[in-house]
Amino acid sequence: MFLVNYCRTSSRLAGGIHAILGDRHASSRLASGIHTILGDKAVAIFIATAFLSTPLAAQPFAYISNQLGDNVSVIDTATGSVVDTIAVPGKPAGIAVAPDGNKVYVSTPEAKGFAVVDTKKHEVIAKVTVNDGTLGIAVAPDGKRIYVADWYKNTVSAIDADSLQIIKTIGVGESPSGLVVSPDNRWLYVANRISNSVSKIDLNTLTVKQTAQVGTHPFGLTIDGRGERIYVANVKSDDVTVVETARMKPIATVKVNMLPYATALALNDSRLLVTNQDDGSVSVIDTETLKEIALITVGTKPEGISTHPDDRHVYVANWFDGNVSVIDARTLKVIDTIITGEGSRAFGQFMGK
Amino acid sequence: MKKIILFVSALLVLFASVANAHGPVRQKAEEKITINAPAAKVWEIIKNYGDMSWHPGIMSTTVKGDNTKGAVRVLTLKDGSTITEELKKYDEAKMSYAYKITDMSSSKTITHAGAEEKVPALPVNDYAASIELADKGGKTEAVWKAGYYRAYMNNNPPEEMNEEAANTAVKAVLETGLLNLKKLAEK
Repeated sequence: MFLVNYCRTSSRLAGGIHAILGDRHASSRLASGIHTILGDKAVAIFIATAFLSTPLAAQPFAYISNQLGDNVSVIDTATGSVVDTIAVPGKPAGIAVAPDGNKVYVSTPEAKGFAVVDTKKHEVIAKVTVNDGTLGIAVAPDGKRIYVADWYKNTVSAIDADSLQIIKTIGVGESPSGLVVSPDNRWLYVANRISNSVSKIDLNTLTVKQTAQVGTHPFGLTIDGRGERIYVANVKSDDVTVVETARMKPIATVKVNMLPYATALALNDSRLLVTNQDDGSVSVIDTETLKEIALITVGTKPEGISTHPDDRHVYVANWFDGNVSVIDARTLKVIDTIITGEGSRAFGQFMGK
Repeated sequence: MKKIILFVSALLVLFASVANAHGPVRQKAEEKITINAPAAKVWEIIKNYGDMSWHPGIMSTTVKGDNTKGAVRVLTLKDGSTITEELKKYDEAKMSYAYKITDMSSSKTITHAGAEEKVPALPVNDYAASIELADKGGKTEAVWKAGYYRAYMNNNPPEEMNEEAANTAVKAVLETGLLNLKKLAEK
């Protein structure tokens, strides 16, 4: 716990001072000097610099896991370019960006857990062993907990984000994959691929409250801003199940295209975008009429999908091509394609705020 | 705290029993070839989904349906094993189509971890592929892509059903197919 906090503080400190002085060496010297003093003054400086550095670090970054490349590409969404590639061994797959944007949690199935990436230092600062089928990963809206699904053990583990200790492991359906936490931080929804269901977990008690049957082989899912509806992509039945969360009842099934993989909302939740993995396309659904209104061609084998904080641009990781398509949800056009790495999956919420 | 320690110990015991185990990672293969012949001529050779006689590894093809989504072909390989594939996408204008393996017979049976395992004709699982031609100034670029998992979907695969076996087999299928396509088209 001390180590993790220390890393965060020092990097912020260095970043803040660096921003003022514009000299990397000076900033690191200063930072280490301040750490040796560690008095009240240092704390005051830290607070001041942390504030100063915030606007400079406000650029939303997208973090794309490249599973075959064992790394994560960092995209600066302002320039549409990859600014760094972070080595993350263990076949990184699932992604969850902490709400404050300081950390990214990356599931690493071959390393039996997940990696914690510091977004200032651009490196892995901790590796957490959970189980041997980790894939789906999510972080609480307050950043205090991380949830990791285990594909083989049919469980979801809740992990304390500070201590990185497992709080509890909860049995769910078979082959749990996509995870999403409600905006009010009360519920966790889990897509159970083999059981064709979605579990609703009470985050106060960490127990399964309800389960809804959905389409065949649900995989990725998303939730609207009010926490009233979840949209689950069913890879085998080529459709999306819309579930009303209050009663956990499916209210609609929307046909999309071949092998829908994951979902994202844009334009004030009025548009649902769904990656069709085997069609190389993204279906756009009007969430009011629940009809497909557009089919946008992207790259080969699109998988992960996340919406930019501007609520308009939607980023899609194309697994086969190793790139990311940027869709303008308003014009329904691909406006940019950014080369990332080998086997870009980015399964989860990969966009920083 | 005691609970956590107990839990962690329990986990350690589990890990010990599944050393080096991990979930399968999806694999990919891509082969390209430049053919000294017009794309229209090359397309003539491969455009019928139900005719794969252009591939030297395939002895015969039977098909249900025509060149539209949903058509199912059964490929018989030299050793008599079969691969069943469903057409998922067909685009005459783009000179491309995509298909998926829906069933396979096994080429052999092995014993692994005390259980009998049937090794499929192509040692892969959940295999989807696409082939596409592009006109390159009178020449043709043919691209064949495939995405798949290894055949063994549980932990600790036998060597006949691991990633390496899958990648080697798929690469061979794509490579020999494209080389022969080039030979036929340049005749």
